[in-house]
Amino acid sequence: MGLRPIFSALMRNGAGAILVAIQIALTLAIVVNAVFVTEQRVSKIGRDSGMDDQNIFAVPATSFEKDHDFFAMVRNDLAMLRSMPGIVDAAPTTQVPLSGGGSSTQFYSLPDKKGEKSPAAYYNTDEHAVRTLGVKLADGKSFTATDVEYRVKDQQGMPGTAVVTREFAEALFPKDKGQFVGKTFYDDQGKPTVIVGVMERMHGAWVGWDKLDRVMLAPLVGPGPGIRYLIRTEPGKLDATMAAVEVALRKRDPNRVVGKLRSMQNFKQSSYASDSLMAVTLSVVTGLVLTFSALGIFGLATFNVNTRTRQIGTRRAVGARKRDIVSYFMAENWMVTTLGVVVGCVMALGVGFWLSNQFGLPRLDLYFLVGGVAGLWALGQLAAWQPALRAAKVSPAMATRSV
Amino acid sequence: MFAYYLRLSLQSFRRNPGLTGLMVMAIALGISVCMVTLTSYRAAARIPLPHKNDMLFVPNVDSWDPANPYDDDKPGNAPDLQTYRDARGLYASTIPDRKLIMFKAGGVLSGGNQMAPEYVSARMTTGDFFAMFETPFLYGSGWNAKADDGPEPVVVLSKETNQKAFGGANSVGRTLLWHDREFRVVGVLNDWEPAPKFFDVSNGSFDDPEEIYVPFSWGQILELGSDGNTNCWKTEDIKSYQDFLNSECIWFESWVELRTPAKVAAYRKFLDDYVIEQKSKGRFSRPLNNHLYTIEGWMERNQVVGTDNKAMLIMAFAFLAVCLVNTVGLLLAKFLNAAPVAGVRRALGASRRDIFWQHLTESGVVAVAGGLAGGMLGVAGIWALRAWYGRFVQDLERALPTDYSTFVIAVGISLAAGLIAGLYPAWRIGRAAPASYLKVQ
Repeated sequence: MGLRPIFSALMRNGAGAILVAIQIALTLAIVVNAVFVTEQRVSKIGRDSGMDDQNIFAVPATSFEKDHDFFAMVRNDLAMLRSMPGIVDAAPTTQVPLSGGGSSTQFYSLPDKKGEKSPAAYYNTDEHAVRTLGVKLADGKSFTATDVEYRVKDQQGMPGTAVVTREFAEALFPKDKGQFVGKTFYDDQGKPTVIVGVMERMHGAWVGWDKLDRVMLAPLVGPGPGIRYLIRTEPGKLDATMAAVEVALRKRDPNRVVGKLRSMQNFKQSSYASDSLMAVTLSVVTGLVLTFSALGIFGLATFNVNTRTRQIGTRRAVGARKRDIVSYFMAENWMVTTLGVVVGCVMALGVGFWLSNQFGLPRLDLYFLVGGVAGLWALGQLAAWQPALRAAKVSPAMATRSV
Repeated sequence: MFAYYLRLSLQSFRRNPGLTGLMVMAIALGISVCMVTLTSYRAAARIPLPHKNDMLFVPNVDSWDPANPYDDDKPGNAPDLQTYRDARGLYASTIPDRKLIMFKAGGVLSGGNQMAPEYVSARMTTGDFFAMFETPFLYGSGWNAKADDGPEPVVVLSKETNQKAFGGANSVGRTLLWHDREFRVVGVLNDWEPAPKFFDVSNGSFDDPEEIYVPFSWGQILELGSDGNTNCWKTEDIKSYQDFLNSECIWFESWVELRTPAKVAAYRKFLDDYVIEQKSKGRFSRPLNNHLYTIEGWMERNQVVGTDNKAMLIMAFAFLAVCLVNTVGLLLAKFLNAAPVAGVRRALGASRRDIFWQHLTESGVVAVAGGLAGGMLGVAGIWALRAWYGRFVQDLERALPTDYSTFVIAVGISLAAGLIAGLYPAWRIGRAAPASYLKVQ
């Protein structure tokens, strides 16, 4: 059976076919881009933070009365926390990783702002940090209790040792393949810091920052008056432990302020909220667009069959088999879909190009376009299948009967 | 006649309930998705104090690193905050009708009737703040210039803080302890949740407003650092708080109120003169890059409306377009299916125009039904989003308000869209020659 007669029949009823083609083109353009963006957001949200972020929570404490001993407060609080059941370990920190709040500064591989440079988010903490965060050390070890500096006055400069992420070390020392322990880097005042341990991975403060993986842990506590405690619990005991810790901290020393307890998971969800909102909205839109396109194709195919019962009957009467009728409608649908897909490809690329130009989104990956084209072809054929079968059931006797 | 067409439409719906339902649903979903995204877009893009948009300005000077622009991606932008010296320098101008400088700080607040000590956020600002931003007062008022100069130990509380400290009673004249010092309450704000928080976009345009307001100069007396962003570019040996104040670190924001174009021009000249004077002292090595932003301009510069927001809005309207094309196709199919009926009506004397109007009425009814259903779905969608995200996004109430005017807009868009969608099918059916249909019958 040639496609020519199908094509000329289509041309006689152009409007319906063109509408379906437009719809398919728009659908392709939307779906390909929406799925592409969604996939990126989903993998962004799901990436490994390097920490045991499911089982960590944070609580701020502020000493506020005159003559209140800040360091005694920190030591006693931490000693109590570490001895509580359900708690793996606890460490002080300035800010909570993944929270969107933090500090970063520029470091150099040579003194006097020379050599390679890289910013890093830094967390001032003590020797329990590695275990509390649940980060994996790829090389070296954590700093020890004797390395930790308890600073009484606000001063600039890092203490002499640090645990850093591999990402950060590689940015500063790109030529030293994996041999980072013992290397020295410098802050903008030229103050040296020696790398004692390298973390496989750890996320810093700002999830939208392309240098999220550049983090350093510095052995430094103080000067107060505020601090946060990071607490890692045994799996599944987060909620119960949080409640117990709140009570215990308030009871241990009423002469300071204990702030709101918040899990790292909660910080993480807030930080990724706009990404997940985007992913959810786009997924819903994608689902709806596909459903409505399928229903639209189905509706028009049904209509086509209904208005052409006489024609189908005539064809059957002059010898067309049921299979021929089915393939006729399927081929017709295929032609319309193909027209839509071709136009849609151009539109999808245009939209993708425009989105990346206008909004700084990454350029559309062509695999998604290929997938979209295949998917829409399949969807078109699927939607036309049932109406085509119904067409095949039209009896040859219809040819002689009036509708 | 219209009533008759309406009746005909309803009959036609009864003939094809599935097809009609599909059309109504397509429009409803298209409209509701648009409504949800439009609501969040409008919430982000709203300009606070629109009647003051040509009066309130952010002076913006470029004190940054001679070697690098403040923002590599937008080298034309000056830093969004100022150094202490420049904030004070600009504040010294007598041109503005009103002026303020400010930064965000925090500290433990205690005292009051029943308040447990608590760390509260504070806006360290000058007395004109309240008049410039038209903050509503529940009790008392802000403080005057004398209190700024002292500075006097006065404080303005947010309604919530007053609730915590004094159980919501009129607390003007009462005292509280902040940073171990006694502060006297002079005013209590009523509910005030500016969204976007246009006067502090560098720290978060949908953050909560501060819990207390304290005269600016207390910041230097109490040696407070910023609870928001602090950025520095220069290598400086900072040993004391005074060194920090004199450094090139930026953490202050200025606003001015200029009521006449002449004052705006005079203030622009003042900014240029100020920077040129600083240049002669060896600062401000970058080229002259002064700006005077309106509220709207300031929000645009700081990209308060995120790009995600815009991209989603566009996607939503593209989805509506698909739904409409879908509806056009289905309407066409439906009308042509019922062409014999139209043929009979033509033969009985209805004009082409009558047939056209009859079918357009039917499209309109579909559109209104779709719009109403879509509006309700949209409101439900906004509530669902709030329920889902409200658990970990505190500012969602402000980011996604229930704005019923969007409902009206939704029905309006839907009616317009439905009528446009109905134009071609109605015209097409009006043109069909009656004879051919009568013959087949």
